[in-house]
Amino acid sequence: MENLNIAATKHTPLIQFNTETHILEIRGRSYPENTFEFYEPVMKWLKEYFESTSNTTTIDFEINYFNSTSSKLFFDMFDLFVDAQENGSKIVINWEYDEEDEDSEEAGEGFQEDFDSLEINLVPK
Amino acid sequence: MSDKLYKIYQDFMQQGIFMCFNGPLSQNLMVEIGETVKQKMELAEAGTSRISKVFAIMVEQAQNILHYSEEKIPDRDGAGAEYELRFGIISIGYADDHYFVTCGNRILNSRVDTFREKLTQLQQMDKTELKKAYKEQLKKGPEEGSKGAGLGFIEMARKSSKPIEFNFQTIDEEFSFFSIKILI
Repeated sequence: MENLNIAATKHTPLIQFNTETHILEIRGRSYPENTFEFYEPVMKWLKEYFESTSNTTTIDFEINYFNSTSSKLFFDMFDLFVDAQENGSKIVINWEYDEEDEDSEEAGEGFQEDFDSLEINLVPK
Repeated sequence: MSDKLYKIYQDFMQQGIFMCFNGPLSQNLMVEIGETVKQKMELAEAGTSRISKVFAIMVEQAQNILHYSEEKIPDRDGAGAEYELRFGIISIGYADDHYFVTCGNRILNSRVDTFREKLTQLQQMDKTELKKAYKEQLKKGPEEGSKGAGLGFIEMARKSSKPIEFNFQTIDEEFSFFSIKILI
C-alpha cells in the first residue's frame, strides 16, 4: 500500500500517512470549502490501511484550527479508529495543542470523552 | 457619490467596524480576510483565545454565505457549483470591550420560521446545554442535502460570550435578509 501525502494549504492540513513507520500525521488548519469532498480520499486510504496492517499505528493530530464541518469529519474518523481497534488494530492517538489555545485543548478532551475506548493523549506544546 | 462613501466610512468608525466586506464571496477571499483580521487583532494584542474565537466565528459565518446565500450568480440551478458566486456581508469590529462578528445574506422566506425557531432555542441555552446540543448534532449527522454538518450556529453560540442576536427583514415575496451578530 502506498503512502498518502497531501501538502498543506492555508485552509487544509498537511497529511502524511506512512505505511513503513506506521505514523499518520495530520497537521495544520482544516476549514476547506467542501470538507467531506476533501477528506474522501483520506478516509478511503485509512479504511484500506487498517484492513492491511497489524502493527501499532500512531496518529498525530496537530490542528490549530478546524471548522464545525471538520469537527464532524474528525468525529467520523475517530469512529473509523474505533472500528479498526475492534478488528484488532493497535492505535495510539496524540492530540497536540497550543497551551494558550483553550478551544483546541477542549476539543481534545471532547474526543477523550466521546471515544473512551481509544488511547488519546493530550500533548500540550 | 464620494460624500456618501464618507458617510458609510463614518458609520463604520462609529460602530467600531474595522473590517467589512459586501459582495460575492469566495473561499480564498474568506481565507485572506481571516488572515488579515487575525493580524490586526494580534497587533492590538487581543489575546490568542479571543483571536481564535473571532476567526472561528468569521469562518462559520462566511461559509454559511458560501453554501447557503440565496443571492447568487448564475441564479439558475444546475449551472455547476464551481462557477457559482454567492453574495453576503461580513463585518468585524470592536466596541464596548467586545469584539463582534456580524453577517448578513438573503434567504428564502420559506426558511425564516425554521431559522427563527432554531436560533431562539440556541439563544436560551447555557454553555452546558449548548455543548450537549453540539454533541447530539455530531452524532446525528447532517441533514440530507446539507453541505455542512449542521453545527455552524451551535458552534457560534458556544464561542459567543453573550446570547446570539439575529434579525430578519422581508425583501420581497420570495426573499428575506437574514443577519446574525456574535459578541466575543
